[in-house]
Amino acid sequence: MVIFGASGDLTARKLMPALYNLALNRYLPAGFSVIGVALTPWTEQEFKTHMSEAATKYSRTQPVDRSVWQSFAEGLHYVAMTFDDMDGYGKLAATLDRLDRERGTGGNRVFYFATLPQFFAVIVDRLGASGVARAGEGWKRIIVEKPFGHDLKSAQELNRAIHAVFTERQVYRIDHYLGKETVQNVMVFRFANGIFEPIWNRRYVDHMQITVAEDLGIERRGAYYEKAGALRDIFQNHLLQLLSIVAMEPPANFDAEVVRDEKVKVLRSIHPINVETDAVRGQYGPGWVAGEQVVGYRQEDQVAPDSKTETYVATRLFIDNWRWAETPFYLRTGKRLPNRASEIAIQFKKAPHLPFAKTAVQDTSPNLLVMRIQPHEGASLKIAAKIPGPVMRLRTVNMDFFYGSSFLIESPDAYERLVLDCMLGDPTLFAREDEVERAWTLVDGVEAGWAAQPPPALPNYAAGTWGPEAADALMERDGRRWRRP
Amino acid sequence: MSGEHGQVSTRPVVDVHAIEEELAEVRWKLRPDGEMDEAAQHAAAEARANVLNLIVVVEDESGMEHVHRVLDGLSTHHPSRTLILLAQEERQAVKLEASVSAQTRTDSGHRVTTEQVLLHAHGQVAAHLASLVSPLLVPDLPVMLWWPGRPDFESQLFNELADLCDRLVVDTDDRGVEPGRDFPLLLNVARRRKARVAIGDFNWARLMPWRHLMAQFFDPPSVRSRLISAHGVTVWYGGEGSNAQALLLAGWVQSRLAAIGVPIPRELRYDPGLPHGVSRFMLYTGGEDGVSRFSIARAPGGRLTTQMRIGDQEQLGRTVAVAPRSADDLLAIELTIPGHDVLYEQALEAAVG
Ligand SMILES: NC(=O)c1ccc[n+]([C@@H]2O[C@H](COP(=O)([O-])OP(=O)(O)OC[C@H]3O[C@@H](n4cnc5c(N)ncnc54)[C@H](OP(=O)(O)O)[C@@H]3O)[C@@H](O)[C@H]2O)c1
Repeated sequence: MVIFGASGDLTARKLMPALYNLALNRYLPAGFSVIGVALTPWTEQEFKTHMSEAATKYSRTQPVDRSVWQSFAEGLHYVAMTFDDMDGYGKLAATLDRLDRERGTGGNRVFYFATLPQFFAVIVDRLGASGVARAGEGWKRIIVEKPFGHDLKSAQELNRAIHAVFTERQVYRIDHYLGKETVQNVMVFRFANGIFEPIWNRRYVDHMQITVAEDLGIERRGAYYEKAGALRDIFQNHLLQLLSIVAMEPPANFDAEVVRDEKVKVLRSIHPINVETDAVRGQYGPGWVAGEQVVGYRQEDQVAPDSKTETYVATRLFIDNWRWAETPFYLRTGKRLPNRASEIAIQFKKAPHLPFAKTAVQDTSPNLLVMRIQPHEGASLKIAAKIPGPVMRLRTVNMDFFYGSSFLIESPDAYERLVLDCMLGDPTLFAREDEVERAWTLVDGVEAGWAAQPPPALPNYAAGTWGPEAADALMERDGRRWRRP
Repeated sequence: MSGEHGQVSTRPVVDVHAIEEELAEVRWKLRPDGEMDEAAQHAAAEARANVLNLIVVVEDESGMEHVHRVLDGLSTHHPSRTLILLAQEERQAVKLEASVSAQTRTDSGHRVTTEQVLLHAHGQVAAHLASLVSPLLVPDLPVMLWWPGRPDFESQLFNELADLCDRLVVDTDDRGVEPGRDFPLLLNVARRRKARVAIGDFNWARLMPWRHLMAQFFDPPSVRSRLISAHGVTVWYGGEGSNAQALLLAGWVQSRLAAIGVPIPRELRYDPGLPHGVSRFMLYTGGEDGVSRFSIARAPGGRLTTQMRIGDQEQLGRTVAVAPRSADDLLAIELTIPGHDVLYEQALEAAVG
């Protein structure tokens, strides 16, 4: 595996710990080697030291097993170069050849683009021009980090640049949400449990709410976030991915292309979003989150004091197909909300007839199924039950199921799963070209609509609250309310 | 398989995720098969049944004991996530501490688990405890706020908690509650434009037998027709403390009659020699055959007696035993009432009118 951006944050926090844990669980093939590429003029030894520190600090399993690390670290190498330097690719090619000979890596290569998006096209181009992309035997694959473009045009350009060198089958676009066990569990939940599929449609489902809520602010990512905003940062990828998984037709089998075909069909069926009625943007002001006083977005580092960037988005979507016609899907994401929670909530319609006295059922709410992605992975089902006692009175009971309490079972990190899938040649959990482009088309539509409107007065929600009032109004107009996740 | 098992854990540093993990761990240890090998742990998906979130605000340590006693009596029928807030904004040193506990009872034949989180805050953060409460609530379940004593209506804490909850439970008979000042404040809470909160009042539940007996007088249609000519209500009360009970009872009669277009005045009579609370409750009506009087009075032994005089005919009265309600009974009643209690809110409104 060649990591472009090996001295960066992602490599230290996610990639190295993932690779180490794969080694620990014996998932890595014999002779597996890593060549780190970045600008920092490290020696091979310095690279190993930094990676060892990263694994020690960020591994989900502790303590780090020294003997496993030692043998894994034997395969670590480093090439200092700039991404556009053709001589550097010569050095890289030589190192790869040497590893093929010495460690028997057989010409199989993963090129991991763990660097800033503006370099993706350059790296692809140089990999092609230097012949590294095709050299020798074995398969060649690339893993491309998010964000994949910042609008449809840039995504298409990047796809074009990539396809000049690699075919689509060689491209693995990361959406780390898809690597999460619980997202995969959503599919299992739907398609392995016969009881849900028959009611998974417009006839029984009143609406769905998909929430990706963060209690954190933008941390140190101000410069990036100013240009991105919540719509590009979360909606374009995570929210739309969750939507397509929860709304897609059952695939005939779990082959990557079959599953991705179904997902893309959902994205294609989404009705263009009318920003006047169906999209709300917000930005947080100062407030309190979890007992802590926090600053507003405009006071964050590297953020303009009059920034118009949105840190909150809520939308109402309709999917124009037989299964979902006229069923609203409400999607929202935001920073500095009261709670960290990623959830899909399916609100079923009221029971058609309630054979109880009117008073008994006054306040029972219809069934609600919630699939929790993080934290506290699991599902919960809201059902009506009788209050103990002689009178027929009903109330709501929540049955919560936890897939495994985090202190007991360490579920593998998304990156472990994704890196392994790539090495095994399974792209199911990666975004395909047409998925990415379709998602950008939707986002571009919203951006264009917003650009044509004066922005709302910002900030319009206090940190620690559930977003702007307009988002509540979006629901109330339909006689509905956002859940409290 | 009976009795109860408890687990407690205290943590000085407050981090929502740490609190949740701690609760999960404490809950897990309560399992009858708590000692499982790793394979069994992987296999077991944990299930939890809950019916509500209960937030309790306590002003000082001395109030804790009472609260704990009441909550203990509750748990069997109301598996809940309970958050107890000891919020002391006026204390100087900033402090924020959480302790968690879980309790399982099997005496009902089922395993019922109640989770409890105690949040103890001093200083500025005490005013903003709602920001910590919010992420700790179990989603999709009603949120009840029980505030023993007089709620601090103007405080930030009260208003932010009210935004979170579906029902505010108070006891207007508590010391410190002044009906003239506080009834309108309660009404405001129930009628806020956003996040309307239903109000529950222990005092209202205590008055239930008085209300039932008064209503029963008018079950026969011949008597019911007299309501049109009602012209006054008198409530005697005594002892120390507030007249909230008497006011609510009179307000109830006034609001019910106003609803059928019969506005009547009320008279409250105070007698310091009487025990605390309502002692006697009378409704007067007119009619062709003269003035009628419907009366309920407290009798020795915790009983109520009724009397009805129509014209100059004294009717046979009856005496009913009324078991005093304990605080946990009263709270349990409140926790099962869905939505707004319109009759209560109208009584409250009439009482301040
Ligand atoms: N960090 C995360 O947790 C995270 C999460 C999700 C997605 N991502 C995505 O992952 C990617 C990398 O993010 P990051 O946070 O790791 O970024 P980063 O910390 O800024 O790392 C950038 C890396 O690229 C190298 N680099 C930059 N310009 C170069 C050049 N001209 N020639 C050679 N090397 C160059 C840097 O090397 P030197 O430092 O040696 O100059 C560094 O190793 C981004 O696409 C990001 O969106 C990151």
